[in-house]
Amino acid sequence: MASISSPPTDGFTDPSPSFSPSPQKPSLIPGIAPLTNVFSRFSQWRKSLDLPNPGSVENLQKEVKTTHLTNFIFDGARADLTKSLSMNPAFQVTHSFALGSQTAAPSYNFGAVFANSNVFLQGSVDHEGNVNARMNQGWTENCITKMQAQLSSQVGHNMIQLEHDYQGQDYSLNAKAVNPWPTDLTGIFIGSYFQSLTKNLAVGVESLYQRPTPEMAELSTSYLAKITSTDKNWIATAQVQPAGIVQATYWQKLSEKVEVAADLQLIAAPARRDAIATLGAKYDLRMATFRAQLDSTGKISALLEQRFAPTFAFLVSGEIDHLKNAAKVGVGVMIESSSLTPEEMGMPPQP
Amino acid sequence: MPSEETKERITKVVELGRTALHYGWIPLIIYIGYTRSTPQPTLIKLISPLA
Repeated sequence: MASISSPPTDGFTDPSPSFSPSPQKPSLIPGIAPLTNVFSRFSQWRKSLDLPNPGSVENLQKEVKTTHLTNFIFDGARADLTKSLSMNPAFQVTHSFALGSQTAAPSYNFGAVFANSNVFLQGSVDHEGNVNARMNQGWTENCITKMQAQLSSQVGHNMIQLEHDYQGQDYSLNAKAVNPWPTDLTGIFIGSYFQSLTKNLAVGVESLYQRPTPEMAELSTSYLAKITSTDKNWIATAQVQPAGIVQATYWQKLSEKVEVAADLQLIAAPARRDAIATLGAKYDLRMATFRAQLDSTGKISALLEQRFAPTFAFLVSGEIDHLKNAAKVGVGVMIESSSLTPEEMGMPPQP
Repeated sequence: MPSEETKERITKVVELGRTALHYGWIPLIIYIGYTRSTPQPTLIKLISPLA
C-alpha cells in the first residue's frame, strides 16, 4: 500500500546514470502509477540495450533463398515483357510467355503492379483465368497488413491469406489466417514472435493452429534461432519443427560480388528419415548474375542472367540430375520497355 | 452460434465477394494505375505487349 500512496515520480529517483528519463505525464488514474512506472522503466531499460530488430520470421532464410537458385530455375523457353508506365507512383504491366517445359504446360500470364509509398497492389491472370492477387497496406513505417489470394474457377483451388505484420524495436510479431471461414471458425492460423536477445542472437517461436473441421483442431509449434555476425557478413539460422524436421542454413558474403549459402534439411519422422544438403554460390558481376548449386540428391544446376543493355536480359539455366540421369535446359529473355523519357524516370540525361 | 439462415447468407456474401475479386482485381489495378500514373499512358500502350 505504501507504493500507491507514494508520489508517482518516486520511481524515477533511481540514481543509475544510464537512464535519462523523460518528464513523465501525470497518469489519468493515480492508482496505476506504480504499474506505468514499472512499465516505462522496463521499456527504457529495453531501449538502453539497443538491440536490433531481428527481421521477420518469413524472411529468416531470405539471404539463403536469394543465393540459391531453387526459386529462380526454369526449363523450356520463356519471355517476359515488362512495361513501366509510371515511376512515381510505380505502375507496370508484364506479359509472360512460357513454353517447352517438361513439367508445365505452355502458358501466358498477364501481370499488373501498382505501388505508392504505403499501398502495394499486384495481380496476375493466366490464360485459363486463374487470378493471383496480392495487396499490402502500410499503416505506419513498421505496421503492415497484407492480403494474398488465389482465385480459380475450379472448385477447391481458391486460397485467401490475411496477414498482419508488426516490427517493434527489438522484436517482430506476425499473425496470419489462411482460408478462415467466419461461420464455424475453421482455417489455418499462424502466429509468430521473434525477439533479439543480444546484438547477434535472435530466437523465436511460430505456432500453427490447424482447424480443417470444427471437430478437429491441431496446434504445432516450431522454434527458430538466428545468429548474425556483427558486421552482417554471415548469418546462421536454425528451425526445428515438431514433426521432426530440422532445417539449418548458413550464408556468408565472401566479397562484394560473391555470396555462398548452405542449407541442410533433416527429416527424422518415424515413417521417413531423410536429409538433403544444398550448397550454392552467387556471383554478382557488373552486367550479369551467375548462380551455381550442388545438392546431395546428385543435382548440379546453374543459372546465368546476362544483361546486354539495361532493358534487355538473357537467361540460361541448366540442371543435371546425375542419379536419375536426367537434364533440364532453359532459355529466356527479359525485355523492359518504358513509355517514359529518361527525365521522367528520374535519371540524369545521358551524354 | 449463428442460425442456419445467417450461415447461408454469409456463404452467399463470401461467394459473391470471391467472384467480384476474381473478375475485378486486374481491372481494378489497371484502373487505379491508369488514373494515378504521371504522365497518363495511352490505352494501346497499356494492353499491347508490342506497342
